[in-house]
Amino acid sequence: MVSAEMKPVAIVGAGLAGLTAAWTLRQQKIPVVLYEAGKQIAGLAGSFHDPDGFTYDFGAHFVTNRLAAALGVGAHCRDVRYYGESVLLKGRHYSYPFGLMQVPRYVLSGLASRVRKHQPRSAADWFRAQYGHALANEVAIPLTEAWSGVAASDLSPAVGDKLQGGIAQSIVHKIAAQITHRAVTNGYSHEASENPNVWHVYPKGGLGLLCQKLAADVEDVIQLETPVEAILTAENRAVAVRVQGKEQPVSAVISTAPCHVLAKLVQGTDALHPLSRFRYRPMVFVNMRFQGRGLLSDTVVWTPEKDFLFFRLTETALSMPWLAPEGKTLITVDIGCEIGDEIWIMPEETLGELCLQHLEPMIPDGRARYFGCRVLRTPIAYPVFLNDYEDDRLRLTRSTGIAGLHSIGRNGEFAHLLMEDIYWRTTQKMRHLAATLN
Amino acid sequence: MNTQLHKPLQEQISASYGAPCRADGTEPLALTRVTCCICEVEDAQPLAVGEDFEYRTSPDTFLAVQCRGCGLVYLNPRPAPSELDRIYPPDYHAFEFSAERYGFVYKVRRKLEAKRLLSCCKGLGKTARIVDVGCGDGFHLRLLRDYGNPSWQLEGVEPSRLAVNAGLDQGLKIHQGIVQDLVRNLELPAASYDLAFMIATIEHVDDPVAVLAAVRSLLRPGGRVVIVTDNTQTLDFRLFHTRHWGGYHFPRHWNLFNPKNLRLLAQKTDMQVENLTTIVSPVNWVYSIRNLLVDWNAPQWLINQFSLQSTLSLGVFTLFDMLHQWMGHGALMRSTLRRPD
Repeated sequence: MVSAEMKPVAIVGAGLAGLTAAWTLRQQKIPVVLYEAGKQIAGLAGSFHDPDGFTYDFGAHFVTNRLAAALGVGAHCRDVRYYGESVLLKGRHYSYPFGLMQVPRYVLSGLASRVRKHQPRSAADWFRAQYGHALANEVAIPLTEAWSGVAASDLSPAVGDKLQGGIAQSIVHKIAAQITHRAVTNGYSHEASENPNVWHVYPKGGLGLLCQKLAADVEDVIQLETPVEAILTAENRAVAVRVQGKEQPVSAVISTAPCHVLAKLVQGTDALHPLSRFRYRPMVFVNMRFQGRGLLSDTVVWTPEKDFLFFRLTETALSMPWLAPEGKTLITVDIGCEIGDEIWIMPEETLGELCLQHLEPMIPDGRARYFGCRVLRTPIAYPVFLNDYEDDRLRLTRSTGIAGLHSIGRNGEFAHLLMEDIYWRTTQKMRHLAATLN
Repeated sequence: MNTQLHKPLQEQISASYGAPCRADGTEPLALTRVTCCICEVEDAQPLAVGEDFEYRTSPDTFLAVQCRGCGLVYLNPRPAPSELDRIYPPDYHAFEFSAERYGFVYKVRRKLEAKRLLSCCKGLGKTARIVDVGCGDGFHLRLLRDYGNPSWQLEGVEPSRLAVNAGLDQGLKIHQGIVQDLVRNLELPAASYDLAFMIATIEHVDDPVAVLAAVRSLLRPGGRVVIVTDNTQTLDFRLFHTRHWGGYHFPRHWNLFNPKNLRLLAQKTDMQVENLTTIVSPVNWVYSIRNLLVDWNAPQWLINQFSLQSTLSLGVFTLFDMLHQWMGHGALMRSTLRRPD
């Protein structure tokens, strides 16, 4: 039983994680207040629609049929029929992972790496130990460096934790995808095991639907345009939040804020000071609109060669044709950058022009097909696992170190979490929290 | 399953959003969230995503989860109680089980079931009072009437008006409603029955604990209830549990047990487990394969080989399940629980 006087749990941020937390706690009859600084819910899980009939997500998000069923929105989702990745090397496309396995050099060096056993000390070591020197040096390490903005030798081996399942799983899932004509997941869910009956789906109207569904049950506790100004602690316990200059007593605080922001919010202790060093990679997503379809060799094309401005291209319409009007397509160009650098501040059309130049080897007639772009920028696209603060990161995976303060979600956990993982991890954590509060 | 039934369904399905569904079932169902009925908490891992492969009553997809505490498999979220009429359509097989439809298989099933039922009735007096909770159209009551002691008093409980009417037409005494309500309203007398049957019932009910407690209250001290339900501790479950297992019967089976948590259920309702064994059934094997073939859009002639009409597949999997039964893992569980004196 929850006592009538129980102070609410304050949740910071109304993205997928914050809403899941509020929704789960509400089911456990725990009073909650959900503070959102922005004008609307959904955070990174939101979708944008333009008047020409294109839909854009922040990066290509995929929802699994399992997450949709868990939220009760399966009836509003459609199956993604195909998903494939390839790697562009020296002008040639290799499907991932099997195309790469047909290159004898990669196979031999991969086998050789299996014979040697050593404890990897960096992401670079890990990739070499896992994939062999040739594949690591030519593909995995350049991609990781473009994605993170730092040398792979400075990154923690934990970077590899969230990559695809093993070869056996990849083979089984590829075969299942061929038989069922469904984009069977591989490496998209780590909390709940993947199997050939878990595939990608896309909700009606975009990914925001998931958040709307969660929000519907907690609407009365969502306070929009209400940033949390501070999280107050006493004796190493979160006791209140300051909102609009007023202190609100709480029984616990759930934060979805990026770690460096959380470190600044918490007052009364310097226990979170190490989090202020955590870095996120800013990213620019250039959504380029073209006439035609199937301009790329696969849904996702990785471009590890350094000559390219970008490291990943996604033709979402190959997997989700409904995201672009018929006869047209959308290619999302992912460019890692730093806030304030040349790419970050570049005007939309100039970025589009630059991307066109770099896309020429893949789409020679791209300029004739191109009809404008829309750019989305985020300063916190991916957590960067620097070895410098690996011990602090591992500590955070266990606890924030402050009683009653929980940091959740992709930004809060400082982990490369995909949508389904966010849901299962958050519901699990909140049930445990509710048990302790009850 | 009658394959004729499915032809028009296939033509009616709408495939753009959600699961394929019949023309009169395109609206999503109202869903409700639940906790584990035994542990009373929601601490479960996802097990399977499925859809109504058999009747296509809605475009929803459903999640079966497994409780981390007791291993109970349950549907969460599940259709709200207000949706029962939709998920049990008029063509539901428990309402339309007739000799004309199932021919030879029906006759074999009748003989087999009669033998099984009577084995549960050993030691009953001439005036024994027996109630079948979740009796459908009265299939088991008719068997008891035809093969049992003529002086036994036989009654049934069934929430579906359609099924009750079918049973009444056969001259059976059936109370319409759910057992908890009938007990509460004194429509069924407390501590009056010697034996209760819950055959393929417990997996359908919203709150097995409340239902079993109500059934317990109907039994005389020392009276027994025989529960027959799908077993999740089987090879067919292990092979098909991520989607196609016949025992899920999406979205109509809400709680699925194994011997361990069936004992916990008995404990929770203060019943003594007198006997817990498994019995042979080919149905979950046949339906697991059928569901897989339907899901993968296999040709209809192949799907037709796996149905309640297919003597061959039923025969083969009966033999196959006999092997598992020999190892103690038959497809169904049968438990006799006794109300303490």
